[in-house]
Amino acid sequence: MDRTDDTLRELFAVPTPPTLAGRVRAALREPAPTLAALADRFHFEATERGVSRLVYGRGRDLAAGRGRRHVEQARAEVAEYLAGRRTFFTVPVDLGGVAAFQDQVLAEARRIPFGTVSSYAALARRIGHPRAARAVGNALGANPVPVLVPCHRVIRGDGTWGHYAFGATLKTRLLVLERTTPLLVGRTSTRIVCRRGCRDEQRAGEDRRVVFASVADAAGVGYRPCQVCRPRDDAA
Amino acid sequence: MDERAFARLAEDYAGRLYSVAYRLLGNRADAEDAVQRALLKCFAARASYSPQWAVSTWLYRALTNVCIDELRRRRIRTDGVELRAETPTSPSPVGARVDLTRALATVPREARMLVALHYVDGLDYRELATIRGISVNTVKSQLARGKAILKKALQAGGHDGSY
Repeated sequence: MDRTDDTLRELFAVPTPPTLAGRVRAALREPAPTLAALADRFHFEATERGVSRLVYGRGRDLAAGRGRRHVEQARAEVAEYLAGRRTFFTVPVDLGGVAAFQDQVLAEARRIPFGTVSSYAALARRIGHPRAARAVGNALGANPVPVLVPCHRVIRGDGTWGHYAFGATLKTRLLVLERTTPLLVGRTSTRIVCRRGCRDEQRAGEDRRVVFASVADAAGVGYRPCQVCRPRDDAA
Repeated sequence: MDERAFARLAEDYAGRLYSVAYRLLGNRADAEDAVQRALLKCFAARASYSPQWAVSTWLYRALTNVCIDELRRRRIRTDGVELRAETPTSPSPVGARVDLTRALATVPREARMLVALHYVDGLDYRELATIRGISVNTVKSQLARGKAILKKALQAGGHDGSY
């Protein structure tokens, strides 16, 4: 150990804030409630082509034929999402019944990455109707498949939440959930980096998982991207 | 591991975890938050803790996972290229602290984490490798790279080079 190392070690020491111990104790006494318990309250309707409607609270599943498979898949994926084990959905969505403008808005909303937010005005600009922020709000408000099409990731330009079909509380909780769910997970056994929710990644135990900030970071320490879920660093 | 044992453990480690988180995230609020979240995660998963792991490895794994994800959200550009040699700073002792924070910000994320774990708690290569799920050789090369960038940044930041 040379002198440089010793000096650096001294430099690295940080005084612990006096509030930390109390905060940790309080947090351990009453852990925050999880969203996973709400999974049963989501109900789905599906056609042959995909999930066409998602309702929260009272309701029941509605599907026939191939649609039943979509409902099963949607139910499983939403449950995983609420438990913080999934960051993307693979179940097909059927937006057959919506008008052209709304279709455009919903398609753009689906491009907002997990864990980030956008504003109604920004979304309006992106679809080429910069003055249509309110129309965008209406289109999202009538979103037939909330959660799967992440209209909760759209908030007001001034930073406040705005409305949500399932209530402001749930919007907040979904955004908090996304804020604390890691996006990229590496499996230490295979050195493969996946998006959280990939079936390959889900098979790994909790003690075999490490989080990465980007696919490039992961590659830098010898992890290759998964070929099933194909994680990419598009936002960077 | 029962609840009381875990609470004791959390108290023992909170300070060290905080130091690492602070060095990674650069501010007190985020660091406290990260420690709390990491400990809560471990608390929730305490039943699945296997004693073949060192407790510190387990806790640091959880902490680094939380911190790394936090850094992802910030989308910090971490190319060493961004390092500016002409950064004007005061060479005062107070300046040295600020310098370290700024200098650390120029170190790429993965290397920064290893540097922080290494200098705060003196963890060895093997433990660092287990915490991050990488090979010992990768630890060595990343750590060396991180140290080199850090030292260069500290010198550029007006340090007199006497450390």
